[in-house]
Amino acid sequence: MRVEPELRSKSLAVLEGKAPLQKIFAVNENARRAGVSPGMTKLQIEACAGLMLRARSLPQESAAHAALLDCVQSFSPRVEAAGCDTIVLDLAGSRPLFGPLPKIAHAIVRRASALGLETSAAVAGNPDTAVLAARGFSGVTVIPNGKEAEQLGSLPVEVLFGNPAQESARLLETFSRWGIHKLRDLAALPDVALSERLGQAGIHLQKLARGDISRTLVPIEPPLSFEEFIELEYPLVLLEPLAFLLGRLLEQLCARLEARALATQELRLCLELENGWQTENLSINNGATGILARPARARQNFERTLRLPVPLLDSRIFLKLLQLDLKAHPPGAPIVKIKLTAEPVRPRAAQNGLFLPPAPEPEKLELTLARIAGIVGEDKVGSLELLDTHRPGGFRMQRFAPEPFSPQRHRATEKKSHFLIQKNFSVSEPALSAVRGCLGGDDLVTALRIFRPSVDVAVTMQDGKPAHITCPRNKEMQGEILWAAGPWRSSGDWWEQEGWARDEWDIAVQGEIGIALYRLVRDRLGRRWFLEGTYD
Amino acid sequence: MYIELHSRSAFSFLEGASLPENLIAACANLDMPAMALLDRDGVYGSPRFHMAAKKARIKAHIGAEVTCEYFSPPRYRGAERITDYKASVSMRLRGEFRLPLLVSSRLGYQNLCRLITKMKLRSAKGEGAVREEELLEHAAGLICLTGDHDGPLTHALAYGGMEEARVCVEQLADIFGRENVYVELQRHFHREQEARNHAAIEMARSLQLPLLATNGISYATARERELCDVFTAIRHHRTLATAGRLLARNSERYLKSPQEMQALFADLPEAIANTVELSSRLAFTFKDLGYEFPKYPVSEGETMMSFLRERTREGFQQRYGRSSSELQERARRQIERELKLIEKLDLAGYFLIVWDLVHFCRRENILVQGRGSAANSAVCYSLGITAVDAVSMELLFERFLSEERGEWPDIDLDLPSGDQRERVIQYLYTRYGERGAAMTANVITYRSRMAAREMGKALGFDPETLDKVSAAVSTWEYRDDNDTFDHRFRDAGLDWKHPRLRKYFELCIAVQDLPRHLGQHSGGMVICQGQLDSIVPLEPASMPGRVVVQWDKEDCADLGIIKVDLLGLGMMAVLEDSLQLIHDHHGEEVDLAHLPPDDPTVYSTLQKADTIGMFQVESRAQMSCLPRLQPKCFYDIVVQVAIIRPGPIVGQMVNPYLQRRMGREPVHHLHPSLEPVLKRTLGVPLFQEQLLRIAMVAANFTGGEAEELRRAMGFKRSQARMKDIEARLRTGMEKNGISRDAQEQIILSITSFALYGFPESHAASFALIAYASAYLKCHYLAAFTAALLNNQPMGFYRPATIVKDAQRHGLKVLPIDVMRSEWQCTLEQSAVSTQQSVSSTALRLGLRYARGLREDAGQAIVQQRALAPFTSIRDLVHRVPELRKDELNTLAEIGALNEISSRNIAGHASTKLHRRDALWQVERAVRYSGPLLDELSEPDVNSPLRPMDPEERLVADFRGTGMTVGPHPMAYHRQRMEAMGIHKASDLSHIPDGQRLRIGGCIICRQRPGTAKGFVFLSIEDETGVANAIVMPDLFQKNRLLLSSAQFLMVEGILQNQDNVISVKAERVMPLSITRAETSSHDFY
Repeated sequence: MRVEPELRSKSLAVLEGKAPLQKIFAVNENARRAGVSPGMTKLQIEACAGLMLRARSLPQESAAHAALLDCVQSFSPRVEAAGCDTIVLDLAGSRPLFGPLPKIAHAIVRRASALGLETSAAVAGNPDTAVLAARGFSGVTVIPNGKEAEQLGSLPVEVLFGNPAQESARLLETFSRWGIHKLRDLAALPDVALSERLGQAGIHLQKLARGDISRTLVPIEPPLSFEEFIELEYPLVLLEPLAFLLGRLLEQLCARLEARALATQELRLCLELENGWQTENLSINNGATGILARPARARQNFERTLRLPVPLLDSRIFLKLLQLDLKAHPPGAPIVKIKLTAEPVRPRAAQNGLFLPPAPEPEKLELTLARIAGIVGEDKVGSLELLDTHRPGGFRMQRFAPEPFSPQRHRATEKKSHFLIQKNFSVSEPALSAVRGCLGGDDLVTALRIFRPSVDVAVTMQDGKPAHITCPRNKEMQGEILWAAGPWRSSGDWWEQEGWARDEWDIAVQGEIGIALYRLVRDRLGRRWFLEGTYD
Repeated sequence: MYIELHSRSAFSFLEGASLPENLIAACANLDMPAMALLDRDGVYGSPRFHMAAKKARIKAHIGAEVTCEYFSPPRYRGAERITDYKASVSMRLRGEFRLPLLVSSRLGYQNLCRLITKMKLRSAKGEGAVREEELLEHAAGLICLTGDHDGPLTHALAYGGMEEARVCVEQLADIFGRENVYVELQRHFHREQEARNHAAIEMARSLQLPLLATNGISYATARERELCDVFTAIRHHRTLATAGRLLARNSERYLKSPQEMQALFADLPEAIANTVELSSRLAFTFKDLGYEFPKYPVSEGETMMSFLRERTREGFQQRYGRSSSELQERARRQIERELKLIEKLDLAGYFLIVWDLVHFCRRENILVQGRGSAANSAVCYSLGITAVDAVSMELLFERFLSEERGEWPDIDLDLPSGDQRERVIQYLYTRYGERGAAMTANVITYRSRMAAREMGKALGFDPETLDKVSAAVSTWEYRDDNDTFDHRFRDAGLDWKHPRLRKYFELCIAVQDLPRHLGQHSGGMVICQGQLDSIVPLEPASMPGRVVVQWDKEDCADLGIIKVDLLGLGMMAVLEDSLQLIHDHHGEEVDLAHLPPDDPTVYSTLQKADTIGMFQVESRAQMSCLPRLQPKCFYDIVVQVAIIRPGPIVGQMVNPYLQRRMGREPVHHLHPSLEPVLKRTLGVPLFQEQLLRIAMVAANFTGGEAEELRRAMGFKRSQARMKDIEARLRTGMEKNGISRDAQEQIILSITSFALYGFPESHAASFALIAYASAYLKCHYLAAFTAALLNNQPMGFYRPATIVKDAQRHGLKVLPIDVMRSEWQCTLEQSAVSTQQSVSSTALRLGLRYARGLREDAGQAIVQQRALAPFTSIRDLVHRVPELRKDELNTLAEIGALNEISSRNIAGHASTKLHRRDALWQVERAVRYSGPLLDELSEPDVNSPLRPMDPEERLVADFRGTGMTVGPHPMAYHRQRMEAMGIHKASDLSHIPDGQRLRIGGCIICRQRPGTAKGFVFLSIEDETGVANAIVMPDLFQKNRLLLSSAQFLMVEGILQNQDNVISVKAERVMPLSITRAETSSHDFY
């Protein structure tokens, strides 16, 4: 409602839960009149005409809470967040500043209303009574001392429970069974008998209902935030002076983090630009360089996020990484403001084994990788991972991050590779002997040298077998085919747009310099012939 | 010439992508004379393969790929040939492989079934492997191939090289005999496979074994490889994208033509020639199955037939002894005719076995009644198998048994659901042995929803998209034209032009009707003379100790295996319980077989449609038909039971029949030749038999063809069959000169029966139960209602409605009381009988109706109370520790603890508690206050809480029991209702037709049947009865939320009273604020 005030005049329901099990979490008055109530399923209300639906948004709720906090903090420094929608203020000593208590309460409600929040306020001698009254009565309520029980008496017992929890549901059910609907009913129960039945929790609730409870306020603490900010007097255009300023900010950030024995794994740089430009909304996780988001909707702001594989705390390294990153992705306009935020994490333990081989330092490795990526492109750095597919040569790039060395694992890997070698040998034995037989010699054909890129050829067929190849690009690779084995047929990814199907032939060609063995491939979808490689 | 001898169908469950019928069709297309089906670890698809092949005149060879444990090192060969190394290799290989086995003789088939049974019965579903010694034991009559990529040869080559492979093949030759082992070669254009082939050829040459070319078929055509890949992904719980090399490398495992195969194996012509040679050796087919129904043991000097005659004669005396001599004579003639046919078809044993089963039930006091076509037989009636007198009802015996059909008769037995039915099944097992009886399977096939879900998952849709698309797909009618699905996709917010969604749609269609896995049929049992495991492999069922065969009941019927259906029927249990209650409480013995046949109370109740709780005639649709049909005799009930079915409704037969019955429309027949067939039902076909006879008379169908029609009608896989039959019907009718209009009418009748229709005999059996339930309700209301409540959930109405209906009929219903209630509802002698009360018997609700109360806790209450009555709530809590706090709270809240009287501290006056007092005490009693103070706990005294008001009691009753035994919620508001101009339900019969009025009450049932074009039917209950309202589609659209969720409604509209069928055609609906109690309705959408 705060974000979309036009919804106030319509029927609105807020949904919670995952599809298809969404249920109504809250409704406004108009919706309630249309017969919609919390707990109904989405399916049930689908037919309800004119009903606006919104999904519950926790970020928006916490934003509203934060706005409310901002609002009340201007009235009192001692503020307690008593729930996601409830705030308690200590107004002791405020009277000389803001006037009598009811006036302050009205002022708070007015201020909140200006922020788009509908609120109720109550003033009472103790925090809990104030909370109950604010929950139960709309507008502003002032409860004079000594009149708590009387005034609270007419409220329903539900106001005792701010957040729905299992325990409160259980107690509410008991009250409902007992026919205790108002705080007055609860207040009237005999203490001892109640204590025998509901224990101290019951007594506590009864005291709340009587307004006969006192406690100290628990004020909130400001959140831990590591953020540095510079507003420039004149716009910056060159990277060098920017680097200088970034260096200063980073040093301050690192010093603050260090003071709290923290490090960081994520740095966010936000540059406000003089005349912003817009780019497409790209937020692709690019594992190769650790850059999470490319400029996203940079109308005025230019943002970069640097994610590191390990927690670090070295301002020079950070600076170098930021420089490299900005070189690859320049902001594109003069800079007027710089904001740098670090996500605090616990630092890594840096002790390595005494007798272990040294691994590259993560800081240096990260720098090197960033440098390489700057030259060859972000998606071309990393380690190869072979894909589990029949498609020949299927691979993808992975971010290069050596695993921390552990002696046990080292031994295990050694054993495993030994086993694999043995196993491969025995698997291929019959195959090799067969190939040996086919080639008519004892020489093993073991290696295939792949041509990159492959070599296009023209092929003449005879009796369903390739008989002659012509290669305009390379005369050495053409001639009569003396012998051909195949076709070896494979196809796959038929459910994708880029499905593939191919026939392979192993051929011996009589070239000008002698007999050569090639792997000849026919792309059955593209209808093209090419040589994929040569056998040693 | 080439014959494919290694193929899998979709019955290899997720390893093959074509139905057996499609394999045969492809085989016929390629002019191949024979084919073998080798499904994984079973012969699941073989009956369908056999039947399709028989039709296409192709020879169907049977076999299976059997999972085997790897062989242990050969012990019996010369030690000099086995080096330690090889032995150790063998020892290491504890894996499994698939051994393709072909059946060459009946003995071979029996061996195959036993092998698979042994393996299946000792392991979990989908697991298990045959052991070497079992192969040795059951090798006779089987021919073994060396297998493809998961066969023994590949396995041995991969792990032990050439030497190990040689050892393995020699072992196979030792087990099966050298002449029965073929070295299998397949060519799918793989390098590794070709290397393997070279090794195999070399070995075959050196061991002098024949080579055999096969193509290891997994699908009929290359296109189906896609589906096979999807199945692979599903089997491994992956998506297609993550399945990687588990998927097939190419699409070569389709059925190739002999020319293609010859070209592939041009270098090895003997491998092709051997397929023909091997095919000629495979003599076994399913014609030669060797099934025998168990013989019934008779004493010496007697034959089964003479024994049957004797039992029939005895039964005849009982059944017809008191009948008129004319009926006796007709019955005698009919029985003689039937017995002659039974003798001729050698079926005496079968009848005796069913008789024995029924006899067992009688002995054990288990209610039993035969249904289905058996009710057409006078012999079955005499033997007590059925309760319908086929002679006096002139039922058609040929529908049950005909010489021409050559099929075993079908006898279905209705039994009380639950434990009693279990006892009968157990009896069959003990009588025929573990391997002599088994349940039939139920093949679970891909239907729209499961197809949509699994295909989407395999394509890697995220859960949200999956929900969207499956919601869009599940409503598709697959045979419909394509122009609707883009619509549905758009509705779901999806772009169906997206290639992946198109692929998804294709896959969903392709997978329809393919088997997914094997389930268990609810009541079908097969029994066998010898060992059933030599007829069909057996598998463990979900219940320990039970076995299930690999075929479903259609397959069993196709192969001539007799099955007995033991069906659990809730109403049978109600009848049985009622009889017991009547016996216990009234000391009367009611014999259902000898109920007064024309009880006037029963018929007048039926005519008034006062039928809540009665079997088959209680639904809203039945109730709206009863006053028009005005049943006056038993046959009218038979018609009544059969007429309100989707078949007659869609076939537009209901109205013409009722109009003719009321004399408002002349009786005429579609064609004069059909008069004898349709005379009894006034020219309107209502029963399945009539439609079969119409097909025979009008379209010259033979008995066999009519039988085919019958099976197509009640058959899941029948779309194509029905189309085919429709064409034949038209040709036949054209020949007989039947007019186009009449043809259309007949076709409509027959095709709508495919939806659902009753055979007359079946309707008659049901009508008997309906009559019995009506009789018991009319004369023993308390016992019947108690039994009905004790067998919930069943029937059309909620317990709350049943209770209110019984109360309106004068039954006193007492609330749950821990001092008196048993677990089940019981009968009590009521101290105060109401004015209307027929007797002073009252019904006491059982503890089972206290929501959330577990049975063991309930039984513990009953046990403890039997020892001594509870003196206080604390006493109850202490003596029944099983009770949890929530259960105690529920009991207190519904007033079940009110009668626990207690003495106060002074030890004198006793206090009667109200519900809140009890709740107050429960809260105290469940809190353990420690050893010191526990003894000092306070007695049950009045609490500071105020008693519940009527509304609160209502809310508590509905929350705690789902009903109230107090006044109907509407009763509290009658004055207000009257002020609003709302009429009582009981008033409506006195108000003239066409008057605008208002009714209101609790919605007990909402229906929006598929046959009613969007109309909604509401049943609205108030304290005087149930009124009906009809809501037009546009009114429903406007008030959808209200109509589908409101508990109490006011309906304003025009009263329609046609032939005493009363309803209100709604024009306006409004919610009524009556109570916060959560009443519930039975909704059908």
